[in-house]
Amino acid sequence: MTEPHSPREGPAGTARRGGSPSGPAPVTPPDPGWDRVPLPPVPQTDRLQYLDVATRRIARGMDLDETLRELRWAAVPAFADAIVIHLHDPLPVGDEKSAVPVVLQLHSIDRAPEARTALLIPHAEYADVTERIQPVPDGRLAKLLLAGQPSFGDAEDIGPAVAELLGPAASAPGTLPQGRRLIIAPLHGRHHVMGTVVLLRRPDRSAFTGDDLLVASQLATHTAIGVQKAVMYGHEASVADTLQHTMLPSSLPEPTGVQLASRYLPASKTAQVGGDWYDAIPLPGNRVALIVGDVMGHSMTSAAIMGQLRTIVQTLAGLDLPPHEVLHHLDEQAQRLGSDHIATCLYAIYDPISHRLLMANAGHPPAVLLRPNGQAEVLRVPPGAPIGVGGVVFESVEMPAPTGTTLVLYTDGLVESRAMDVGTGVEALRTHLQSTRHGHRLSSLERLCDRILAALAPGPRDDDIALLTARFEGFPPDSVGYWHLDPHPLTAGQARRLTRRVLRRWGLDALLDSTELMVSEIVTNAVRYASRPISLRLLRTDVLRCEVTDDSPQVPRMREAGPGDEGGRGLFLVNRLAQRWGATRLSTGKVVWFEQRIPKEPRYHGS
Amino acid sequence: MRGRKATPVSRANDGADYGSLRLDRSGQAEAFDAIGDRYDEAFPHKEGQIAAGDWLIESLGPGSRVLDLGSGTGVPTARQLTEAGFELVGVDLSRRMVELAGKYVPGGTFHQLDLADLRPGGPTDLGRFDAVAAFFSLLMLPRVEIPLALRTIHHLLTPGGLFALSMVEAHVDDFAIPFLGNTIRVSGYLLDDLHKILDDAGFEIVKETSYTYAPAVADVPPEEQVFLCCRRRD
Repeated sequence: MTEPHSPREGPAGTARRGGSPSGPAPVTPPDPGWDRVPLPPVPQTDRLQYLDVATRRIARGMDLDETLRELRWAAVPAFADAIVIHLHDPLPVGDEKSAVPVVLQLHSIDRAPEARTALLIPHAEYADVTERIQPVPDGRLAKLLLAGQPSFGDAEDIGPAVAELLGPAASAPGTLPQGRRLIIAPLHGRHHVMGTVVLLRRPDRSAFTGDDLLVASQLATHTAIGVQKAVMYGHEASVADTLQHTMLPSSLPEPTGVQLASRYLPASKTAQVGGDWYDAIPLPGNRVALIVGDVMGHSMTSAAIMGQLRTIVQTLAGLDLPPHEVLHHLDEQAQRLGSDHIATCLYAIYDPISHRLLMANAGHPPAVLLRPNGQAEVLRVPPGAPIGVGGVVFESVEMPAPTGTTLVLYTDGLVESRAMDVGTGVEALRTHLQSTRHGHRLSSLERLCDRILAALAPGPRDDDIALLTARFEGFPPDSVGYWHLDPHPLTAGQARRLTRRVLRRWGLDALLDSTELMVSEIVTNAVRYASRPISLRLLRTDVLRCEVTDDSPQVPRMREAGPGDEGGRGLFLVNRLAQRWGATRLSTGKVVWFEQRIPKEPRYHGS
Repeated sequence: MRGRKATPVSRANDGADYGSLRLDRSGQAEAFDAIGDRYDEAFPHKEGQIAAGDWLIESLGPGSRVLDLGSGTGVPTARQLTEAGFELVGVDLSRRMVELAGKYVPGGTFHQLDLADLRPGGPTDLGRFDAVAAFFSLLMLPRVEIPLALRTIHHLLTPGGLFALSMVEAHVDDFAIPFLGNTIRVSGYLLDDLHKILDDAGFEIVKETSYTYAPAVADVPPEEQVFLCCRRRD
């Protein structure tokens, strides 16, 4: 937030300036001529008016820097000509007493233009005001901090405290004003010293009065409350940030037929933790689900809800439901988490065998597709209503996904900011992708991600950003075998023969015996429960994968087989022979699969 | 699975003996009426089918009569055979497909018919043919009808006539599958079984090719396609 240095209505000793602040106006006095008419010096009501405006401003700050900036702008030049702020480092969080000795760190200095040649010189700006001080235990500064009361610089014993705080700047001649023109005020929170504020007036301005000390005390108190609030808020944000990070995938899967890359950037302000997430989930048949979502709001709750939604999506993906049904069930489940959680989500399934993309959207910004010829296209999928609204119908849209095409999924942080609405941002992303030079289009996805972020989110962000890119590489049909088989007593034998034929075609004779055996066991088991045709699928990548799908939801478990027990033993065999195996429940039944590593240098017999 | 062409309707009769078989075609033609042009978009790769058409072109004399059973949109087979100079007759159960074929292949003659209507003594007689092509059409029949359909094709061919057949390898009977947003029922044989029923129906297999085929739509799984080039044995 940038705001001009404007509202500096001051009390004593300073001519009041005109102009109103941007943002909400601080108190409009009843007298319309108030900001033009120079008031006689220092009526009490004027001080109160100043305090009213100043404390409101300080309270308005959302984080540490804003709070302190509001203090500086409220104080200079209306109340003082220069201000020096030090903060406890690290700032204490919560009520616990910190064991480490107090260290004060210079936070900022502000001077009125007229004071540039009169105060804190010859040490320009920050120079020579000590950056970091560890107050001497039981020294004057430590006592002052402990007492928590503001004091005039010329009060007894305060000089050494000021000197300790400001360092060389305090002792240089002409740097500090003479007389009662310095107030040092500790910033005292509920349980801790948070820092100090030093207020200075230039020599040609009237000295501080006793009432001014009360004003300074008020400023310090409000600032300390603001700082404490900001610290607590920041602490929550950093916990939420950590929470968020632990709930995002630590790495992406590496499915055959698609390359993946992702980025997550938190918002610049830590207080703005988001609920963005992304995911890539391998599905049966070498397909992969690509997901991006965004829980509205920025809080720990958003991050926690995000974690739950992501888990729900993973569970639904595991059932191999089409995108619109995943979103439908997600919507239902989200309402059980509470009525006020709204999220957007885009769910896509890429099938490298059919080279198709299936996608449904729940209120999320549209995906962008970058084609191999350089054309970039915003995918017009019916946007649907966000998750959590309830009772909404989602729609899956299917489209071709040719080899070499890149899908870009993202959250609104990439395309929306105070300066840019979503529509403009999406078009900017599309244009950027389309302008990507040929060589860069084909370079690694990691670099594409970096380029996108550098182009669209170069500076500080208001919102977090999740970015997931997928480049489609497809799956050659000659590496697939696929059959439907009516379940009957001879099916296992049929499956064995089909397996043998395909493995011979692929030159995988070395795997013949083990694969036939495992296929036979799994098909025998599937046929026992199936009421519709089962399917047998063989996929060749760097592994040989066999999948047997049937319409019975009963997922087999490996168990000790009894002497007359036909089942069970089969899976022990699979468990021993296969490199990996598993069983996944589907919306229409289940799939049992296993994989074997393909021996090096297989002998290919033709294709 | 493929279901490209539609097929037959009929009553009992001799020859290819449909006996008291009740023919159920419900939904099959309607699905293809609804699919229309999208069929060809979904199945853009037709190398196997074109190669089988080429085999007919190489093997047949000029001006031969060829029947395309389940002619679909007429693309690519009816067009390919018409352009080769054959007298082409196409048959499909779907009215919409017959319309499209008439539009895309003006040189061919197309009828909305059930294959069973062409059986010996059946209600429709289109004469005899030097060759019959049936690409992904017989799989739309329940298994019990497929041997009868093969006998009908045998009957429609002149002695020594050629028969180009494609099927999807599977062991299923009248199995309802989602197909381009519709549902169709398909049947299939594993290769060994297919060889046997072709032999029983009086065909000699001259050439066989199989492809693993990935359709261009997500709701149609990849499939093992088999193309069989056959000759009427007697």
